[in-house]
Amino acid sequence: MQLDKSDLQEALRILSAEAGVFVPSVVEGVSRFALWDGESSIDLSRVNTELPPKDILFPQTEKMYSYKMGKNIEIKEIIDNPKQVVFGIRPCDVKSIGCMDKVFLEKTYVDSFYAGKRENLTVISVGCTQTDRTCFCDSMGLSPSDAPGADVMMNDTGDTFVVEAYTDKGKQVMEAWKPLLKKGGKKPAAPECTLKVKMSPEISVKLSKMFEHPIWEEVSRPCIGCATCTYVCPTCYCFDMNSDNHSSEGTKFRCWDSCMFSDYSRMAGGHNPRPGKKERVRNRYMHKLSYFNERYETSLCAGCGRCADKCPAHMDITAFIDRVAEEEMENA
Amino acid sequence: MSVEKNWEPKIIAFTCNWCTYTGADLAGLNRMKYPENVHLVRVPCSSRVNPQFILRAFQKGCDGVMVCGCHPGDCHYATGNYFTRRRFMLMKRLLEYNGIDPQRFQARWISGSEAAKFRDTMTQVTAQIRELGPNSKFQEKWYQEGGPENE
Amino acid sequence: MNDTLEIKREAQLRETARRLLEDGTVGYIIGWGTTRFEDKTAPLFAAKPEEADRLVWNEYCINSLAKYSLDDKYPEKKIGICVRGCDSRAVNRLVNDKQIERENLFLIGMPCSGKENSVCEGCSHKNPVVYDILIGEPVEENTEEKASAERFREIEEFEKMSPDERYEFWAKQYDKCIRCYACRNICPACSCKECYADQYMVGWQGKQNNRAESQVYGLTRAYHVGDRCIECGECERVCPMGLPIMRQTKKMLKDINDLFGNYECGVESERAPVLGEYDLTDRDEFM
Repeated sequence: MQLDKSDLQEALRILSAEAGVFVPSVVEGVSRFALWDGESSIDLSRVNTELPPKDILFPQTEKMYSYKMGKNIEIKEIIDNPKQVVFGIRPCDVKSIGCMDKVFLEKTYVDSFYAGKRENLTVISVGCTQTDRTCFCDSMGLSPSDAPGADVMMNDTGDTFVVEAYTDKGKQVMEAWKPLLKKGGKKPAAPECTLKVKMSPEISVKLSKMFEHPIWEEVSRPCIGCATCTYVCPTCYCFDMNSDNHSSEGTKFRCWDSCMFSDYSRMAGGHNPRPGKKERVRNRYMHKLSYFNERYETSLCAGCGRCADKCPAHMDITAFIDRVAEEEMENA
Repeated sequence: MSVEKNWEPKIIAFTCNWCTYTGADLAGLNRMKYPENVHLVRVPCSSRVNPQFILRAFQKGCDGVMVCGCHPGDCHYATGNYFTRRRFMLMKRLLEYNGIDPQRFQARWISGSEAAKFRDTMTQVTAQIRELGPNSKFQEKWYQEGGPENE
Repeated sequence: MNDTLEIKREAQLRETARRLLEDGTVGYIIGWGTTRFEDKTAPLFAAKPEEADRLVWNEYCINSLAKYSLDDKYPEKKIGICVRGCDSRAVNRLVNDKQIERENLFLIGMPCSGKENSVCEGCSHKNPVVYDILIGEPVEENTEEKASAERFREIEEFEKMSPDERYEFWAKQYDKCIRCYACRNICPACSCKECYADQYMVGWQGKQNNRAESQVYGLTRAYHVGDRCIECGECERVCPMGLPIMRQTKKMLKDINDLFGNYECGVESERAPVLGEYDLTDRDEFM
């Protein structure tokens, strides 16, 4: 099926009657996913937003429960799971939602805060027509024009979008859009990432044997230890819990945390098993490219390129992967 | 912002132990009255006041903040209030630059014998803050939404 | 930019670096190296003479390097650092703040006629103010008029706005802040062993990301570094959300200049920060 570009606003308006619709837009100079007001322009000009869409499912600060002290202690769970739609999300970010699903919903523990939001979220992906210079999703096994994890997949053909539903949620969207959709439409060929990275399953295995390798000392040196890479990363999901107290009441919240901070791994008593940047950079790269693969059989890097784009010290995960690929291993 | 009916300004005053706090004590001994809106926090020296105290006070719902110490030259620790002077001249300007009314943050020198000056200053500052109305700048949402009154 | 001159400077830099590494004057040299992208360089740590050829010198050498010396406070041999004007002021900053020993460093002075970085426009020290060896000839400095006109221009403009407009402006800026602390970590004036913001159990800084907490962070940082800021502009360059962070610290510097006389940080090798000293004759406006 296809949707005329001129009908896009109308299509989103249909969805916004029942759910909050997030679209890529520029807010105060920052490109991010923001709640659509029904009129403002939708910015699909960028390949990727500066901030990832992860905060829709995993807000930077998320209240968990509130409490009140008194004769009896009163505890109230805070559940905030509105119906939401995210439109215009690129295939790499769809894959990153898939990664977060694995973390929060699979293997023994189901995170109810995430699960509630995830269940009420419909993902409408728009494939890329071009790629950025830091994009390398096709090296990570994805396609810039196809997101298997999306509910609805749309691809730009110039004047129209080719629309396909991948899930039941997606079929409901198509149903709602029925008056606007026309038959036909041919999916355009996928663009190719200009940046090719030598990523392969072997790299993950190789890395798992490189914990003590001198490479870490070297690659970590430019790192300044800020959290930019982790906060602009669509798959970084680490959080901390803390409380916000006001006299006899307060809330418990969780907020993003970053493995690049020293207090992230600091234990009670002051010991820090990751005392310096070598250990922290190693942990981040290993988590992205090896540990996650071991546990979930997919890499935690989607190839969106945001970290390489934003790093203050111009560190680049793609250069690191290539470096590992070339590294001679005695017992690899 | 509409002023609530029973709104009373909340003012926090950091007072040095050796001069202003003693001055406040003397005011009390003499049965002088000053507005109960002013809450005193005793500090060893006015230079003990970290500029962050000011920010935190506004954040936690204060409408006005004061720092009071010995007159320059009279510091119990000889030089403490010279640092205070520099520090808060800059802080005041930085706050103003960020949109805080200069009357909301004030610093004064009040000695241990100046009970009347203490009373007059506190009365005057309270009147000024009352005139300005409640402050919501820099404030946490919880206070903006009513704060302790919600309990 | 005179290209041939700068290409020559790069060759001289490599030659000097190789010599310094060969004769053991330095243990390693911190400079700039290439990345995958033509318009980006990254800090490079050259430890072997043959690595000297990987050093580059072009208009994209924008990363500040001096703070990397903090990673190695007790080096076996001297640390060689390539310093532009701003880096040399950062070195002075760190030495002044007793963070590093000057004798542990070997400064390779790089006269710099400006990089692909907006902060370079009003630069007042294109040539390093302190160095052990200078690569090539010094470059022509901006005239004092140009540098001083540029220095506080933005601040003066901003001061003309009404208090509420100013508050709104900053509130919106701090709404964007993601609290990655890149501004803190890159800053040569931010050298606390443990930042107050990392001691969140103490309660100085809430870990939740909201307007009020980010405002407290932004202003605390601005005030804390305000009298020691060397105006390198790294905080603004690294901010992933594009906050005009320099506009806070420069406001402090402007007031310091107005109240306490001419003041530029990191230019002299020994000078106490304004808030670390006092003068009996300071203006008294508190009464």
